[in-house]
Amino acid sequence: MKRTKAFAAGISATALALTLAACGGGGDDDTSSNSANNDDLSKGATTSGGKNPDAVGPAPELEGQQEGGELTVLAPDPDDGPALLDPAALWSVTDNGIAQDLLFRSLTTFRQGEDGSYELVPDLATDLGTPNEDFTEWRFTLKDGIKWETGDPVTAEEVAFGIKRSFDGDAFATGPGTSYSKPYFEGGEDYNGPYASGDDFPGVTVEGNDIVMKFSTPFPEMDYYSIFPAIGPVPLDAKAADYGLNPLSTGPYKVERFVPNQELVLVPNDQWDPATDPARRQLVDKYTFKFDFNPQIAGETVLSDAGATTVVTALQSTDYNKAQQDGLTDQILVGPQPCTGFVMPNFDKIPEVEVRRALAYAYDYENIWSAAGEVVGVTLANGVTDPDLGFGLLPPGMAGRTPFQGFDGEGISFDPDKSKELLAEAGFEPGEYEVSFVYDASTPEGEAAAEQRQRGYEEGGFAVKKYPYTAGSLYDVWTDPENALYKKINLLGTAWCQDWPSASTFMPVIIGTGSAYNTGNFSVPEVDAEIERIKLLPVDEQADAWGALEQSAMTDYQPVINTGYYQNIFGFGTSIQGLANDTSVGGAPDYRTIFISE
Amino acid sequence: MALPATELVGHDEQSAPPSEGERRAIAGRSPLRIAFDRLRKDPIAVVCFIVVLFFVLIAIFADQWCDLLGVSTETVRASDFIDFSNQLPKKGPPNHGFDPEHPFGVAPGTGTDNLAVWIKGCQTSMFLATMAAVLSTIIGVTLGLIAGFLGGIVDSIISFATDLFLTFPFLVGALAIAPILNERFATDPEKLRTVSFWALIAILTFFGWMGVARLVRGEVISLREREFVKAARVIGAPTRRILVKEMLPNLIAPIVISFSLGLPAYVAAEAGLSYLGIGVFQRESWGRTIAAATNWWELYPQYLLAPVIGIAILVVALNLLGDAIRDAFDPKTRR
Amino acid sequence: MFSFLVKRVLAGSLIVVMVSILVYALFWYGPKSPALELCRRDTNNRCTDAKLVDYEQKLGYDNPIYSEYGKWAKGLVSERKIEFGTTEYVCAAPCLGLSYRDRSQVTEQLKDRFPVTLSLALGASTLYLLIGVSTGVLAARRRGTLADKVLVASTLVFSSLPYYLVALLSFLLLTLSTSAFPEVQYVSFFDNPASWFSGLLLVWLVMGLYGATAYTRYSRGAMVEALSEDYVRTAKAKGLRSRTVVFKHGLRSALVPVVTIFGLDVAFLLSGTVFTEAIFDLEGIGKWGVEATYIKDLPVVQATSLILAVSVVVMNVIVDIVYSVLDPRVRLS
Repeated sequence: MKRTKAFAAGISATALALTLAACGGGGDDDTSSNSANNDDLSKGATTSGGKNPDAVGPAPELEGQQEGGELTVLAPDPDDGPALLDPAALWSVTDNGIAQDLLFRSLTTFRQGEDGSYELVPDLATDLGTPNEDFTEWRFTLKDGIKWETGDPVTAEEVAFGIKRSFDGDAFATGPGTSYSKPYFEGGEDYNGPYASGDDFPGVTVEGNDIVMKFSTPFPEMDYYSIFPAIGPVPLDAKAADYGLNPLSTGPYKVERFVPNQELVLVPNDQWDPATDPARRQLVDKYTFKFDFNPQIAGETVLSDAGATTVVTALQSTDYNKAQQDGLTDQILVGPQPCTGFVMPNFDKIPEVEVRRALAYAYDYENIWSAAGEVVGVTLANGVTDPDLGFGLLPPGMAGRTPFQGFDGEGISFDPDKSKELLAEAGFEPGEYEVSFVYDASTPEGEAAAEQRQRGYEEGGFAVKKYPYTAGSLYDVWTDPENALYKKINLLGTAWCQDWPSASTFMPVIIGTGSAYNTGNFSVPEVDAEIERIKLLPVDEQADAWGALEQSAMTDYQPVINTGYYQNIFGFGTSIQGLANDTSVGGAPDYRTIFISE
Repeated sequence: MALPATELVGHDEQSAPPSEGERRAIAGRSPLRIAFDRLRKDPIAVVCFIVVLFFVLIAIFADQWCDLLGVSTETVRASDFIDFSNQLPKKGPPNHGFDPEHPFGVAPGTGTDNLAVWIKGCQTSMFLATMAAVLSTIIGVTLGLIAGFLGGIVDSIISFATDLFLTFPFLVGALAIAPILNERFATDPEKLRTVSFWALIAILTFFGWMGVARLVRGEVISLREREFVKAARVIGAPTRRILVKEMLPNLIAPIVISFSLGLPAYVAAEAGLSYLGIGVFQRESWGRTIAAATNWWELYPQYLLAPVIGIAILVVALNLLGDAIRDAFDPKTRR
Repeated sequence: MFSFLVKRVLAGSLIVVMVSILVYALFWYGPKSPALELCRRDTNNRCTDAKLVDYEQKLGYDNPIYSEYGKWAKGLVSERKIEFGTTEYVCAAPCLGLSYRDRSQVTEQLKDRFPVTLSLALGASTLYLLIGVSTGVLAARRRGTLADKVLVASTLVFSSLPYYLVALLSFLLLTLSTSAFPEVQYVSFFDNPASWFSGLLLVWLVMGLYGATAYTRYSRGAMVEALSEDYVRTAKAKGLRSRTVVFKHGLRSALVPVVTIFGLDVAFLLSGTVFTEAIFDLEGIGKWGVEATYIKDLPVVQATSLILAVSVVVMNVIVDIVYSVLDPRVRLS
């Protein structure tokens, strides 16, 4: 899924369309103080929150909670929101935030505990599922009394049908099914969902009120995966292509109006029974989401009187500065995202590890961020702005992670002399080694950032060639070896978010041979072997093993250069209460706890 | 309407007979000379001319101006100039006093000198807009004149072409063509820089000449029924002569106006395209600066005002000058 | 007159057809086919060759261009059945196809969005004429005086700025910061005429003031010219009142160039105002078309291009007729 969806032009050279989804565990960010302090990120964009299998509805009452009012949520360009609201297709921070919090219930879900952290709780299921010894079979029991918005009861068959639809990688290519349903479920690779392969699938079966899942690869994280709307019910007569335009709700709200990528209006669903739902609430009378909204107008609106009941999902840096200057800091919330941005040297074209290390010291972090319009240390941060964050692969807060501090353990900063030294070690004079990259030239910020980057590399002893690109997303170039520009450049990039608080959703994607988002084609047999070994380790040993692999791979090979960890800036009107950063979907407003005060 | 007195037309006769002295003076001067003398005596025209000349000189000698003023558009280390806590400059506007090293201040976020960017932006915008305005006026006037005067099949063909261009969606064309060029020259940034710049001029011209053409055609259709044109035909004047000598002078008003309106329109169009991400790139322009500065209008208004005031002054001066020129060529004007 | 009309309508239809073919071809032969764009979008940039072939088949890009264009064109007059994925959609005539983005019927969307654009066009074009021509005439009558220069210069300053900047700042300053104008919104005229008016008032004013400059300039220029014409002087000499002379004789012929640009402007307004719609968040045709161009939603691009083509052609004919009314010397042939 994507953090933001830019089609014609990325918003800046560094803030790329992050592709991947959501689902973190509980973050322990302090939501009671809505101040925009920068400490949040070091506390972690994600920490593995606890599990609470005994949680029951209704959701605990919030402090000072009030009912009523109409809420407007503006998602500024380039975030264009959901194209389809099909449970099987949803895999993006913005879309999952809305769908999971308000519309589609699944077997489990996250909720904000009393201390502000996110815990895994049962949703449609009576508990968090029962796995067998080696995690090759999971059994969930459906609660009684769950209804569709039409008043019809939700059946176990409908849940099974919904899960089976996630195997249809063709109809729901953007969904999480191809990454998590197909590789793990028994027979999943050959099963393409009920539309293409028929309803008969031994991997997902129904016994009375129980849904039974069988796996060919042990899947200890099925209870986490079950928070996706894809692991929830879909009416048996739903069409593949159309259902996402007129979906039926099981949550506290239902769709009144949906214009893909543009507008979504939600109204209360009177068939939703709070007694069955431990996480969600029905406090607001109406939600209006507007996507792809003009960022400047969104920012001005939310900070003015007209925006008292408005939430903006991503404020621009200028609005952030304005809020600081005008003392409106209680109207902004800086929310960490479990995401990391990378420069990825092409492993075949830059085989010298010293050169790859030199690149880390020749990247002028803060100046590039500043030129790109980012708020240094706020919207983008790493060890340069806060030594505790480090320069590693995994985002802060991930279990097992130790901050990577450079190959010599002394930390990394923009250090042209050190870069030249490393180049000399590899046998290159200053100005001899040419690096080349492609950048987004469609905005002044993109160009300015590229110029700062070029200057940094040149000061660090590199010769630089940079290629402007305005024809689309930079991923068009980075992921297409046939592209003429791909053949010219030796520095690529990616930005990645976790799916849930486990490094298994991160490490293989970034440094595993053949992964689409390992755009530098990093490939070392020992690392691949280690990845496979860790996957089969007992669950409680995995986190530390991943952390150790991150350290050794970064130290020995420097496969990627960390270009920052991300944070979102939310803006909200003066009447909005209870806004929290929902790290469980990767950094979106938590719509389960928002209400409007009079 | 600077027609020689020998022409067999009556429309240019002065309504008030010139005095004896004036008559003698006029008799010895060419129409161009008369117009020029008139312009020289018009203070507004002189001021506007100086202003336009000022911008032209800035545009032509942009590099020299930058050297002279000791400013440059080179990339500087942002941290030397920018306070990362609010992205605004450490010295100079908006929060500090005048900084003599950077008279217009430096850009937020990057620290690039605003004056140098303004000067180079003036060069780009003036060149781009002038080229597009000149080319589209030439194409438009020529086609409009021919179509309106000849009529018949020629008019039908030209009108058809005009309508075809008018009906073709400009933005769809620009948005579709820009990526094609980008992909074609992607691996050669230098060439891409040049090609994309001329492509922008071509796009602005291609989609800008129809208005002039239609306007001129409309005027000519109305003119060709007039007595003096009919008279010229009757005496057997060749078509070319009628077009150039009889028609064209009557069209100075619409041509000057459309040119002086077109020029700023192209400056603005470039800014609009910048906003959509398909304007000029890899070079400074006023449109681009405005696109970047719009976000800063409250925190750092000076950043936005520099190019905006530049455009406004240039446009007003050009238009008033255009008016004055038009008036000066008009024999019906009495002073 | 009648044969003139027939000729113009025929030529106009030819233009509309040619433009729609050109737009179709531009996308069909462009570097990134709509199928590739859609496939990338649907699969998060993981569009494999096999998948691309699938998309091409689904959208008909494996067929020759003329047969696909033929299908599209036929849909304008007769009902069409379109297969999209696993579903078959019935698209009643006039069928403009299904949006690639959300599979909605383009014709239905058009019906929703056109009233917004039409409302904007009506208000803006009225103000063009009211503001533009009146200041133009005023300036022409005071020609050469300070009032003339100030009038001309002040309209110029406003329109010398890039339009999106003017629209954006007016919106931010006048509705958000100061609430000087009511909230901008579109309400159907037939639902509530008062809200329709108040909701669009600011938008009209911005568009009208910005666009009126050209009218001020052209009408001033033409008026100056007209007022010094023989027949106007004759009328004056006859002793007609100055007002009658100005409005009956002068203005009439001064309107010729004004009518030309007005016809075109109305046509362009009807085809949507991209920046206005985007900044004031109004769901009209312009924003729709540009968004569709970005994501290569060909049926929508075709529909918006068609609106532009038809508007221009129709306005052209109207302008020619108005010419002949304003200036009896103009023959329609």
